Amino acid sequence: MTNPLSLWNFYFRNKRKVLPVIGILALAILGVVVTDSLLASARETAYATFGSYQKLILVAPRATRDQDLANPLQDSLTRLHDVQLQVDTLDGPGGITSYYNAVVALPAQVRAQLPAVQRLQVDSANARYYAGRLRGDLVPLGDLIVRVQRLQSEQQAFNQLVTQLTQNPNDPRPLITYLQQHQTFLRSVLPDSAQLGRLQLAVTSASADANGLQQSLQAMNRDTANLNSAGQNVANLPLPPSPSATIDQFRSALDRLTASLGSIEQPQPGLDKLLADSAHIPGTALVKRDAYSNLDINLLAGNAQFDLYGIDQPGMTQLLTLYGDRVVAGRLPRQNASEIAVSEEIARARHVSVGSKLGNNVDELDRLPDAFTVVGIIGGPTRLGVIPLDYMTEHYLFERRYQGLIVIPQAGHAQTVHDELQRLVGDQAFRLFDWPYIKAKIDSLIANLDSINRFLILLVTLVLSLVVGLLNNLFFRQRMNEFGLLAAVGYSRWGLIRRVALESFGVTLAAWLLGVGIAVAVLSWFNTVFMVPHGLLMNVFDWNVLALHTLPIPLMVFLFGMGTVGWQLLRLDPISIIERRD
Amino acid sequence: MLSAKDLALDYRTGGSVAHAVDTVSLNVGRGSFVGLVGPSGSGKSSLMYLLSGLKRPSRGAVSFEDRDYANLSGAGLMRLRRRRFGFVFQQHFLVNYLSAFENVMVGAVERDHDTAAYAQALLHRVGLGDKLLKRPYQLSIGERQRVAVARALVHRPAVVFADEPTASLDQATGHEVVNLLADYRRSGGGSLLVVTHDPAMLSDADRVLQMRDGRLMAA
Repeated sequence: MTNPLSLWNFYFRNKRKVLPVIGILALAILGVVVTDSLLASARETAYATFGSYQKLILVAPRATRDQDLANPLQDSLTRLHDVQLQVDTLDGPGGITSYYNAVVALPAQVRAQLPAVQRLQVDSANARYYAGRLRGDLVPLGDLIVRVQRLQSEQQAFNQLVTQLTQNPNDPRPLITYLQQHQTFLRSVLPDSAQLGRLQLAVTSASADANGLQQSLQAMNRDTANLNSAGQNVANLPLPPSPSATIDQFRSALDRLTASLGSIEQPQPGLDKLLADSAHIPGTALVKRDAYSNLDINLLAGNAQFDLYGIDQPGMTQLLTLYGDRVVAGRLPRQNASEIAVSEEIARARHVSVGSKLGNNVDELDRLPDAFTVVGIIGGPTRLGVIPLDYMTEHYLFERRYQGLIVIPQAGHAQTVHDELQRLVGDQAFRLFDWPYIKAKIDSLIANLDSINRFLILLVTLVLSLVVGLLNNLFFRQRMNEFGLLAAVGYSRWGLIRRVALESFGVTLAAWLLGVGIAVAVLSWFNTVFMVPHGLLMNVFDWNVLALHTLPIPLMVFLFGMGTVGWQLLRLDPISIIERRD
Repeated sequence: MLSAKDLALDYRTGGSVAHAVDTVSLNVGRGSFVGLVGPSGSGKSSLMYLLSGLKRPSRGAVSFEDRDYANLSGAGLMRLRRRRFGFVFQQHFLVNYLSAFENVMVGAVERDHDTAAYAQALLHRVGLGDKLLKRPYQLSIGERQRVAVARALVHRPAVVFADEPTASLDQATGHEVVNLLADYRRSGGGSLLVVTHDPAMLSDADRVLQMRDGRLMAA
């Protein structure tokens, strides 16, 4: 014979009162689990996205104000303009053309009679040859000058963009509009590396030709002096003043242009030495030059820039081996090709596969320029993205600024290598990024969200405790006759309290189990349909979240409910209930 | 068996003291039926609470089977009520989510098959044999009170205290309820102390005690 006052009877004969309480609590627990899991997911995804830093130190150029203000291209264009002025001077009155014309106009009989005059003729012919070459050398410079003029007009549009961004820094639309409207134009105007190479060849050739011209002119001067000393009276010949000084000025302008172009070619002057010195740090496994770039990806807690390593082909293989990753589809990028290989999670996050394109032609928030073809998908424990070093450094003028080093310490030497690298960097414009730094940044970002989440959980717990506690009290008051009778006929007060406690415990336990069960089901579904396809991590069975973070709700509700009901039971006077005439 | 000597119960209201029970002495013998009548506020219910151990007296002594209540702890008194006494109140106080049979079993001390069989027999005896599984809201007021009587008797108490058990019933139903209690007494079940304002309900009583202003008067 079962006890008529059993919990079973209580629960199943009071379903209409018990189930809503269970439902409310279960929903609250579901909410806590979902928000907590999403937060944990954001943290884990961020850790995984930047997980490559756990085994390497990135030495990246420090973005300084001087660096931002310096504009080697603008400087080069200014120098080129100086060269243009000098070319005009060379070609103008008192320049080489008029000098040459004067020379060739010397009386033919004088040239026939005097061998010295013949030499003068030969030298003047040489001078004419070099002057002609020099004019040819100036053709590519002229093309660049046209680009300068177009760039100067572009600079006005850029200044307008800066003004808009300064006035409203939180509105990225002007920037996106500017990039959409001008990136193609910018790329068409900016000289690429091949053009710069041709320009440098032209400058070198012009410099040599100018030198030849000067030597020819000097020979002509010597010829003239020899003729005069031999009494041939050529002093009266109408030779113009030598253009030697003008040519010197032209050469100086060329030298300044060459130096300015060199600063574009090598934006980090200390990098080669740092590369060589880093390789000798004890405990260093590998050092690689890195022309890094970024892809914009969603981390659930906001967008972030996923680091791409621009390294040579052996470096790519070494990097994959280091992390235990492997190519699961396609291949690694080839030398000097506009190709990229990324981890499968990143590929999912960006909805790309082998053959797709990535870069700011596709997504303007990417720093990866143009559109790189995805040629490989990488699988394994660490998320990686690799692009060819040579392509990055030889095809993009601005990307040359983002050249640094990847330094991979041996196991257990991370701190030593970091400290020694820091010493080597010294005052140079480089900074180090390692895992402790990256992790601290992620934790700092998540900590803010975590605080908000904890506050919300506390609020929900308190409100629920009050609501469910009040419901418990209402329910208890409806059962006052029951408890009054039981106390009158001899049921012990503590026995009654224990019974109510068990009833409440059963309700909160059922609510907790139901809430956690629904939460696991919802999270599993969400993980399948959203998280995994977007390359986001979620641990559906995170017991820290499922158990520890949700328990405060049923515990608080139980304690609050029992506290008030228990207190009333202790003060219960059965006679006052028996004598009630309602 | 149940005796009271110089029993008093005082209530302090403001600066004055009201004597709900004032120096009452009585004996309820084994198997006797004692009626307690009197107008409202005469102290008959208070006397019943003192005799059943629901209240502690201000003065005087109560004892049951020679055990002085003063020597019993709160838990001891509870055990006494639970095991040896039965109660019927003016209201039925049935648990609304339990059936008639289960409500009767609430009063049981042992929940074995014999007790369950006895509970069913009691319900048959009070005329509810076909309504064992009915909930209180499916029963009439008189039927509910009969279930309450069965609950008071299911553990075969030595004394049944009935406080105005017929007050909310019509006269015929009231008689039925009192007769049920009297039957229990007659069948050797135990003593009966019935508090009522209606002397007509006490036709089978051995003694009828009249109370006025907290004191027992000559009947």
